[in-house]
Amino acid sequence: MKRPRFEASGLFTLLAAALILGAVASAAIPFASPAGAAAKGKLVLAWHAGFASRWLDPQEHDGTATPDNFFTAIHDALIKNQGTALYDYPALAEHFSVAADAKSATFTLRKGVKFHNGDPVTPQDVKFSYENYRGAKADVFKKKTERVEIVDDRTIRFVFKEPFLDFAILFGTANVAGPGWVVPEKYYKQVGADGFKQKPIGAGPYKLARHEPGVRVEMEAFDGYYRPVNVKQLVMISVPEAATRVAMLERGEADIVYNVPGELITKVGKLPGVTLAPVLSGSFFIEFPGFQDPKNPFHDKRVREAVSLAVDRRAMNQAETAGMGKPTGNWINNDVQYAIEWPEYPRNVEKAKQLLREAGYPNGFDVDWVTPLPTFYSRGERLIAQLREVGIRGRLQTMERGIYFQRLQGGLKEFPGTQIILHGVRIAGSWSFWYEGHFKCGGFNSRDRICVKDLDGKFDQYERSINPAERKKLAEEIQRGILDNYYLVPVFRHAFVNAIGPRVVLQKWQDVFPTITTGYAYPWEDIKVKD
Amino acid sequence: MATIPANTRLAARRTASGWLGALVKAAREAPLMAVIILGGLVLVALLADLIAPYDPTLPVKGAEMFVPPFWMEGGSVATPLGTDFQGRDILSRLIYGARVSLVVGLMGTLVAGGIGTAMGILSGYVGGWVDQIIMRVTDAWLALPAIVFAIFLAAMVGPSMWNIIVILGAVYWTRYARVIRGEVLTLRERDFVKLAEIAGASKLRVIKKHILPNVMNTATVLASLTVGVVIIAEASLSFLGVGVPPPQPAWGLMLSEARPTLMAGQWWLTVFPGACILLIVLATQLFGDWLRVRLDPQTRNL
Amino acid sequence: MSQFIIRRILYSVVTLFILSATIFLIVRLTGDPVALMAEASARPEDLERIRHQWGLDRSWPVQYATFMQNALTGELGKSFNYRLPVSELYFQRLPNSLTLGLAATLISLLIGIPAGIISAVKVNTAWDNVAKGVALLGLSIPGFWLGLVLILVFSVWLRWLPTSGSGDWRHVVMPALALGWYFAASMLRLTRSSMLEVLGSEYIKLARLKGLPDFVVIAMHAFKNALIPVFTLAGVNMVVMVNAAVIIEVIFAWPGIGRLLYEGIFQRDFPLVQGVVIMAGFMIIGINLFVDVLYAFIDPRIRLSR
Repeated sequence: MKRPRFEASGLFTLLAAALILGAVASAAIPFASPAGAAAKGKLVLAWHAGFASRWLDPQEHDGTATPDNFFTAIHDALIKNQGTALYDYPALAEHFSVAADAKSATFTLRKGVKFHNGDPVTPQDVKFSYENYRGAKADVFKKKTERVEIVDDRTIRFVFKEPFLDFAILFGTANVAGPGWVVPEKYYKQVGADGFKQKPIGAGPYKLARHEPGVRVEMEAFDGYYRPVNVKQLVMISVPEAATRVAMLERGEADIVYNVPGELITKVGKLPGVTLAPVLSGSFFIEFPGFQDPKNPFHDKRVREAVSLAVDRRAMNQAETAGMGKPTGNWINNDVQYAIEWPEYPRNVEKAKQLLREAGYPNGFDVDWVTPLPTFYSRGERLIAQLREVGIRGRLQTMERGIYFQRLQGGLKEFPGTQIILHGVRIAGSWSFWYEGHFKCGGFNSRDRICVKDLDGKFDQYERSINPAERKKLAEEIQRGILDNYYLVPVFRHAFVNAIGPRVVLQKWQDVFPTITTGYAYPWEDIKVKD
Repeated sequence: MATIPANTRLAARRTASGWLGALVKAAREAPLMAVIILGGLVLVALLADLIAPYDPTLPVKGAEMFVPPFWMEGGSVATPLGTDFQGRDILSRLIYGARVSLVVGLMGTLVAGGIGTAMGILSGYVGGWVDQIIMRVTDAWLALPAIVFAIFLAAMVGPSMWNIIVILGAVYWTRYARVIRGEVLTLRERDFVKLAEIAGASKLRVIKKHILPNVMNTATVLASLTVGVVIIAEASLSFLGVGVPPPQPAWGLMLSEARPTLMAGQWWLTVFPGACILLIVLATQLFGDWLRVRLDPQTRNL
Repeated sequence: MSQFIIRRILYSVVTLFILSATIFLIVRLTGDPVALMAEASARPEDLERIRHQWGLDRSWPVQYATFMQNALTGELGKSFNYRLPVSELYFQRLPNSLTLGLAATLISLLIGIPAGIISAVKVNTAWDNVAKGVALLGLSIPGFWLGLVLILVFSVWLRWLPTSGSGDWRHVVMPALALGWYFAASMLRLTRSSMLEVLGSEYIKLARLKGLPDFVVIAMHAFKNALIPVFTLAGVNMVVMVNAAVIIEVIFAWPGIGRLLYEGIFQRDFPLVQGVVIMAGFMIIGINLFVDVLYAFIDPRIRLSR
């Protein structure tokens, strides 16, 4: 399948940004210091799920945000997202540039960068990591790349078959793809892909000390890292139960805990010395499967608008995330390319009732099922209670997570009758990934449930276009088309609330969670603890 | 395991109606506490529609979330045991929860007992390859985790209270099958069964007239002890996210959904349903223990 | 006797075979691990690649044949998420699970046996009721809630014990208590009925007739003889605790086999779930075989009855 999407996007801005940043980066190389020598103390992170060992290998990046947490400790990339830089922070590469025709990109490695085993990071390792990459979007890179040239012992050039305008975004955003994360070729080949996942060696600030698969990852500051590393020992423990994580924080067993559940946010915020880090995360929105069918009550735009008017976004945000999320206008997060800003929708129960009357439902109607994204069932319950106020009577349908995602794959036939889905998702990179995965006909999660033909037509046009201005216009048109017609009803942006214990040195929570594109704590080397 | 002295076995040989009569008589001597608790809960469950002040699935109009019980500061008599994270009345949820818990506990036990007793009789009385197959399946079943079943059924037909009952029945039938089979094996060798067979009674008739009435005591005792286990298992399934689906007011679900609030000091969300579960399970266990001594002193290791 | 043992072993093999087929089928009917893993912006190509890598693009009979072929050589396949042989993962976790299982068994005995003795010796007294109440309490509280209450009281309020994880003995106390207490009730019942049976036997009556004090009769004679079935059941319970302590291990972040199973199931890590269930089945069926053979030695009538 041809994927013209990557051929053109913000041509000029992108190039300009790349060139300028490349220049700035080379001018301001962080001072090299013997990092590990000064490192002291220990930091314990209580992780909110199990550990999958595959998350320790960037070569098999699964395209989700999860591996970020481990990559940023053990591995390093040529360029990556850090702080306010979305994808172009120079890490192992001292600087980089994309050719004016976008048909090649050249990276120059920092002097003296090393892997944890002492081997230098060479252009050959970069080439291997790129060519051997098998994770998310691997086929895109494969298809676009003609060859990888080693120019000299610090310089490497990626040569493309055609203009590859999204290269830097795809290459440098940690939760999109992983070919830019460099693994040592010799070691990788020696231990094999599976062996590597047990004992990964990277060029990141922390080297692996002990790995209990699924349970515990212990790391130690790597003194060969090019930036100073502050904390000597970094320990990540998997603690699936939220209440237990909070107890760990309270007792000082953990310094950072991820994912504090809504009910506990207020209490945790009041613990002495504890700082909450509410990271804006996935977007929750309402979907009406099969609304194109004239027999479906949601076929009528007025009914869909009534739903939007009935939803109490602020109450939802307050109850579910202690007000730390954000009621939204657009269902697409604003931290991706071409996402448009949209004002928060109003709540107006009277007007909603009025619209329902006009649409021919003076007494409301019954919805067969309201299915929330697992395990956010209480959000579904709140939605049902809110809709009931205007006469839309729904029943909650809960699904175990694996079943839910399989049902989504099944398309409309899995959601017959009158149904509402309260879905939630977070995708980085570009607005088009959202549209393609969650709206388009045949999209990975949308299938045939909610697509709209003429918007899909415009999207095809968008993908074919190589004119950045036209692409931007189409992107905005499509997003407006969805929002004006209430094809989806945005609810709010979820807050992934984390908590930082008193031992961690910080002025504000953003010092530990600079966010933008990753919901986890990073950069690990910058985090400090009190003695 | 235990060998059965002939005299007690004969005493236990009663017709079905005699067995019922004995049960009624026994009920009068049952442990007072357990009977009061169970009787009270059954009453509450039956009258839930009349005595519950609010709809258990919807927020109380005008009430805040996390309102504490009435005797605490900020509490209100309108919601005497407080409200939960959705602003629902906890008392109403507990009252309706009695219904869910009793239905799940009793029906789950009935399903398990039904399958298990049938399998046990079939296995023990028919014998041969039927016995072989049933016993091998029973053994294999023991190693299958309940949660795998739960997810399997949820995937096949979606979660509901009735599916939970099926799941629990499917998990707990094996203990019946083994014990009942053991009983039937001894019964099969006994004179009254042999005589009936010689007299030309069909297998079905022998099972109905002679085998079934004689294993009912054991099945009843097992059932009384299983009810509590099933109720606890229902709560565990909720913890794993595959239990009775919200917003149904099941005690196990209430306990599991609100568990983080325990750490936040909103104890009333979990302590009340927890106490209810504790009471009902304790009561059924005590009752079952008593029943066991009363009906079937020889059965051990249940 | 040897014929009996051979027959029993054959049964066990058949049972394991049924178990393997059941679990193979059931996990595959519960969903698609690939759809679950690549949730956000995945594309069909990504999914196909992973499916192929994990061997899920082959037909079920082929997958089952491979699985059985490997299983016969002692290899249970490679976990999707950990990329390690399942047997290796299992044995990595086994020591932790054994520690917890042993400690919990000890606790179930410590609560169940005294309670059982008291309630056998002092039938229908207040002592009987108290003993029964204590032993039954563990069975009457859902494990996850008991666990959280323990954490709240002993870790957060009193600060005596660490909340979770593994390490020294202090980490074991709470999970072992929460797990063992549940099994105390069955210990109580068995101890009591064994005691009652032994106390009613001719042998004990004789000891009493000889004028031995009650205390000696109970301690030296009755208790000793009542213990055999109690310890047998404790052994069977322990196998269950080692392999299926899912909830307690999750609450206390205990790195045991139960959590391996838990994560395997929710991630649809087919080889992992299959492997853990087969290993657990192997142990459970094994100990049942052992108990059967043991009792056949003790009581030859059992041999004839089957």
